[in-house]
Amino acid sequence: MTYKITKGLDINIPGTAQRHIAELADAKYYAVKPSDYVGMVPRLLVAEGDSVKAGTPLLEDKQHPGIPYVSPVSGVVHAVVRGEKRALLAVVVKSDGKQESVCFPTFDLDKCDTAADKTDLQSNLRKQMIDSGLWTLLRQRPFGIVPPPDSKPKAVFVSAFDSSPLPVNYEFVLQDRVEDFQMGITVLASIVGKVHISIGKLENKKPPRSFTKNMKPPREPFFTNIQNAEIHSFEGKHPASLVGTQIAKIDPINKGEQVWTVNPQDVAIIGHLFRTGEYRPERTVALCGPVVKDPHYMRLISGVSLRSLGIESTTGNDIRFICGNVLSGTAESIDGFLSSSCDKVSVLPEGDYYDFLGWLRPNFKKFSFSRTFLSGFLSRFKGCTPKYDFDTGRHGSHRPLFVTGEFEKLTPLDIYPMQLIKACIIGDIELMENLGIYEVEPEDLALCEFADTSKTEIQAIIRNALETIRKDG
Amino acid sequence: MMFIRDIFDKLKPKFSKGGRFEKFSSTFEAFESFAFTPNTVTGSGQRAYKGSHIRDAVDLKRTIITVVIALMPALLFGMWNIGHQTSVAYSLDWGFWQEFWNGFLRMLPIIVVSYVVGLVIEFFFAEIRHEEVSEGFIGTGMIIAMIVPVTVPLWQLALAVAFAVVIGKEVFGGSGYNFLNPALVARAFLFFSYPTHMSGDSVWIATPFHFTGDAVTGATPLGQLMASQPLSASAIDMFIGTIPGSTCETSVVAILLGAVLLLLTGIASWRIMLSVVIGGGLMGLLFNAIGANEYMQLPFYYHYLMGGFAFGCVFMATDPVTAAQTNTGKWIYGFLIGAFAVLLRVLNPAYPEGMMLAILLMNCFAPLIDHCVVARNINKRKKRWLAAERRTV
Repeated sequence: MTYKITKGLDINIPGTAQRHIAELADAKYYAVKPSDYVGMVPRLLVAEGDSVKAGTPLLEDKQHPGIPYVSPVSGVVHAVVRGEKRALLAVVVKSDGKQESVCFPTFDLDKCDTAADKTDLQSNLRKQMIDSGLWTLLRQRPFGIVPPPDSKPKAVFVSAFDSSPLPVNYEFVLQDRVEDFQMGITVLASIVGKVHISIGKLENKKPPRSFTKNMKPPREPFFTNIQNAEIHSFEGKHPASLVGTQIAKIDPINKGEQVWTVNPQDVAIIGHLFRTGEYRPERTVALCGPVVKDPHYMRLISGVSLRSLGIESTTGNDIRFICGNVLSGTAESIDGFLSSSCDKVSVLPEGDYYDFLGWLRPNFKKFSFSRTFLSGFLSRFKGCTPKYDFDTGRHGSHRPLFVTGEFEKLTPLDIYPMQLIKACIIGDIELMENLGIYEVEPEDLALCEFADTSKTEIQAIIRNALETIRKDG
Repeated sequence: MMFIRDIFDKLKPKFSKGGRFEKFSSTFEAFESFAFTPNTVTGSGQRAYKGSHIRDAVDLKRTIITVVIALMPALLFGMWNIGHQTSVAYSLDWGFWQEFWNGFLRMLPIIVVSYVVGLVIEFFFAEIRHEEVSEGFIGTGMIIAMIVPVTVPLWQLALAVAFAVVIGKEVFGGSGYNFLNPALVARAFLFFSYPTHMSGDSVWIATPFHFTGDAVTGATPLGQLMASQPLSASAIDMFIGTIPGSTCETSVVAILLGAVLLLLTGIASWRIMLSVVIGGGLMGLLFNAIGANEYMQLPFYYHYLMGGFAFGCVFMATDPVTAAQTNTGKWIYGFLIGAFAVLLRVLNPAYPEGMMLAILLMNCFAPLIDHCVVARNINKRKKRWLAAERRTV
């Protein structure tokens, strides 16, 4: 079925990754960061100097012991990085370049006929998911956490396209991994029962019958041929590709229910392990942004240090590395490491400059969803596409929530964003529940945060509210 | 502009924490951010900031200044009209620029008093709260000056502005937290405290400077209707605005120019504007159908042209802080403002102008309207939860 998303905003930032993949040859340092996992309380399982293989447990969550967070590569534990109050920030592993993996049993999923076989298989798959560290690639909604071991989700959702700024082409990055991806979907379907895959708009709206042999097919038929999953098609503006939008349209979360969400490249990592027995968190990551010289894709192992990517900037000014998209990603310094489940590194120039009478000048270079700038106003006309400068400037001072009506235009969910945000600010849990807090993750309101006249940190407010509810029980 | 930046950079340490003028940090910040949009970046000071790294170029200053620009046509017309009314009433035969100059001199003290009193209080509250000064009053102060009679005593105006800012806004936490439109609070304060200076026939026309004889009076259309006198102004006069009335709200055409800017930039809600017009029109038509007296028989569109209907509809009903916040709520809120404004005008003998009271009344009810609209969404969600529970049982 096709769903059309009319509310939202496409932000076209220059510097989308070109379709060529470079191999990352020799990266030394890799890390696992507890901050990638919402609400995790880490317990260290190794010491500096220990040798590890890919798949060796490094950490576990004190709240759910028994779910290991594993090393992405083989080598030795190089450092345990701690921050204020000895908070564990990262476990750094120095790679030995061999990429040896812990060996896991492989599965033949076609060989189970009886119902008893199936439940057996299901618990075996779950156990292997947990033991191998693949479990930590899953996210459970509500709360966006790694699912507890007894989690019983009603479905798994995979968003296999990207409508956020500087989009990643998943068909392109997964083109050589059909078998891995199919296996991953089959594993998830066996554990949970139902898998939904959402794909982007078909490039040609005409029915495929009208195609002749000489014409290029409208899309690489990658996801449409996948078995054991329901395929949904989405078109329209961002946030069409956010899994929260898709869940709301396909099968919204009710109070007391859970769903799992998985990144498509993580599905392939899961499939690879069950197919070959090898833990190999390999992914293709887009290096993109307006100040990146030659934006392209790079094949690498998760958790790699950002410095080793060798991203070249076209400006001499300060830049910011963002793991993920510019609307909801995580800022990392050049000495930082790639976050888990991260498909792109977006690079933006820092916007730490003063703008003389910025509130008054007509301004053709600044992007605004509102029409108070000539640039934003002109962009509504066809054929008029001003080139915008994007940077990390906040462009104004923080104020109480003032303007109304903006958020509603940017939220395709059946919720009242302004009222929900206010309920989160005052911390009224019952009101938040009633207004649909379980249906959102911070990223679902990222566009509201972007467009907010009052410069409120909406995503932080939503995350804090979700964490309060989760800790309350 | 670097030399201005240098001045601010030099002064900044003195106004920062530990500096000599630490107590005036909010005031300094207000002037600095007025001159330069701050250099703050998203997530500044946070380690591994997670959130939106890019932000829209719009901020509250931009929003408010757009409203002020939208007020300009009505303000300029109002200045001319003040002089024009004096010239006509006293048969002075002034030229265009003389009329404008006289109106300008009348208007200037009103604007200055409104801004100075309001901003001093705003700065004071910002300093004691250690917050940044909100720009909300830049719009409010201008609107207050534009909706009072030209002869308003300045001390009364000063009191009204102080009342509006303190009681109407600051006691609730400042701009963004108030539930009544502060400009209308000021006008209501004047209306109920000094009724003789706010209504009647003698307050709408300024006497010429250095004039010692008897003041000439001039009634507004609403005043004439209230006294069951025939209307002296035609519909065209009222549309253009060459009639006696509050300083800058007589010209519907100038207000419409402002409305066009507000709608093009999307600052004001078209839903509210349209529904106020529909509400007022339908109520006018209803009275036409009843037709019990002359006022009821007045063509419905006259209500758009008289008094503060157009000004209130465009600039005050649409105030996002005090209006309903949901889209459905905005329709109901606007419709009721229009309807109540006309209802009050026609049926209530005590108040010639109903717009002010209609907007203030609906300001009070806006949260209730929103509550009901949101409750529908909540009920829908709860029904879905129940249905899901039944399926699993």
